[in-house]
Amino acid sequence: MAEEVVFVPVRRLGDLIRERRLSPVALAEIFLDRLERLGPRYNAVVTVTRARALEQARRAEAEIAAGRYRGPLHGIPYGAKDLLATSGGIPTTWGAAPFKDRVFDFDATAIRKLETAGAVLCAKLAMVELAGGMGYRQPNAAFTGPGVNPWSRDAWSGGSSSGSGSAVAAGLVPFAIGSETWGSILSPAGNCGVAGLRPTYGRVSRHGAMALCWTLDKLGPLALTADDCGLVLEAIAGRDPADPTTVDRPFRHEPAAPAGQRFRFGVLRGTTDGCEEAVRENFARSLGVLREIGTVEEVALPDLPYDDITRTILFAEAASAFEDLIESGAIRGLTAPEDRYTAYARDAILAKDYLKALRLRGVMAREADRVLAPLHALVAPGRPSEAALLASEVRSAIRGTARDVMGAVGNGAGLPAVAVPNGLGARGLPTSLQFMGRAWEEPTVLAAACAYQSRTDWHERHPADLS
Amino acid sequence: MSEPEAIRAPESIRPPAAIHPEVETMLALVRERYGGRLAPEELEGVRTAIEGIVQAAHALRAVRLTNADEPGQPFAAYRADP
Repeated sequence: MAEEVVFVPVRRLGDLIRERRLSPVALAEIFLDRLERLGPRYNAVVTVTRARALEQARRAEAEIAAGRYRGPLHGIPYGAKDLLATSGGIPTTWGAAPFKDRVFDFDATAIRKLETAGAVLCAKLAMVELAGGMGYRQPNAAFTGPGVNPWSRDAWSGGSSSGSGSAVAAGLVPFAIGSETWGSILSPAGNCGVAGLRPTYGRVSRHGAMALCWTLDKLGPLALTADDCGLVLEAIAGRDPADPTTVDRPFRHEPAAPAGQRFRFGVLRGTTDGCEEAVRENFARSLGVLREIGTVEEVALPDLPYDDITRTILFAEAASAFEDLIESGAIRGLTAPEDRYTAYARDAILAKDYLKALRLRGVMAREADRVLAPLHALVAPGRPSEAALLASEVRSAIRGTARDVMGAVGNGAGLPAVAVPNGLGARGLPTSLQFMGRAWEEPTVLAAACAYQSRTDWHERHPADLS
Repeated sequence: MSEPEAIRAPESIRPPAAIHPEVETMLALVRERYGGRLAPEELEGVRTAIEGIVQAAHALRAVRLTNADEPGQPFAAYRADP
């Protein structure tokens, strides 16, 4: 039966469960087996939560049998990036050796909301240590080892939600929760050929999630399709008194745009500068598909130091969030050698410069909204290249070794974006396409991404050798 | 907010070509605070990171803002219920 349910989208699995043609317990067993058997191959898993999963699956099965169906995630297995607090003795490690035995006595709000929706937590998934906030330069920056890409085992799965990307791509879970401060959902989604949704800042409660940067951190889903991401977001979105940045804006995911809807897409001038040739070619082909469902026009943002704005905020807040770890010298226990000292440099950030970055963020947010207002979405390559080799140094806008205006603006201004696969590169690894919208326009970017996926089949292709 | 072109600083206050003195000053601060725990090659890594931070700071300082341009994430007064 495993062959029949692995790589089946959440929406379809939900239908089968609702119709009682698929047992949540049997489904959980299949994915638990894959997590235990294949997870180590990709360094994708920190903890398989078998006991909790089977308890939740049995409860789901009983409730559905009794006619109490909770919705499309009822009985669906998932994995959570290991920066979300979980109760019941399940460790929450933040991917970092100094915290590998740490246990919380409560569930993060996102975990609790997914439990309310009936989803089944099967694993805590691997991640770059401290979500990459200490300046790592290489894939081997987690105590669980480098995230291995299911498409090629000499390639990185991306960061920092490495396990969330690889676990979905390898069929170890139907969906996963990741987090993004700058790139940590879109990067592994793009590298692993799955869909990833970065919600608007404030859409999803961060309560119980590791804080890297209070004003940049977002939680969001990775799944096989943009449609599935919408289903998951519906379950985890909403105001939470425990996270004062959350807002009371209802989110409802519609599986398809209204018939005949036309989209207006924008492309930032120079958005493919620095991209690999195959990325540019695949993006050009994607624009051809998008012209079937709308218009595409070039747009421009004013000349501002976008990467510097978001980078300065990230470095300053991360240095403060991990002040104890840094000042005590406990960062010596991290895996990547550069993570053990780079953060000391952040004492060089002056308060005045951090505040200037925050003030410029306001300008950036207004300019981005001005450009986005007449559009349904800005589109761009999700990543400038195929996944890096495990043995290579990772180019990163966060460290300033690459430029990422879409990421700097999108994260700095807290805007939603969804990435979906749009082809293969020269090494046979996935490339991706991102749709970024105005604040709170997740329904719009998801509708656009769903429309794109309805005309392409890249999301139906999966890595070989996953038995 | 003024038009994009207007918020750019004139060339005269753009980042200076050489950031070396500021980097060395900041590196001295880090060396003073943490030097005892940093190997020479690690201190070089810190220097590289400081160069990036100082370059970013110069880029930020080069943009002029008005008195009305507040941080994008304003503080909110707190009062516990009720």
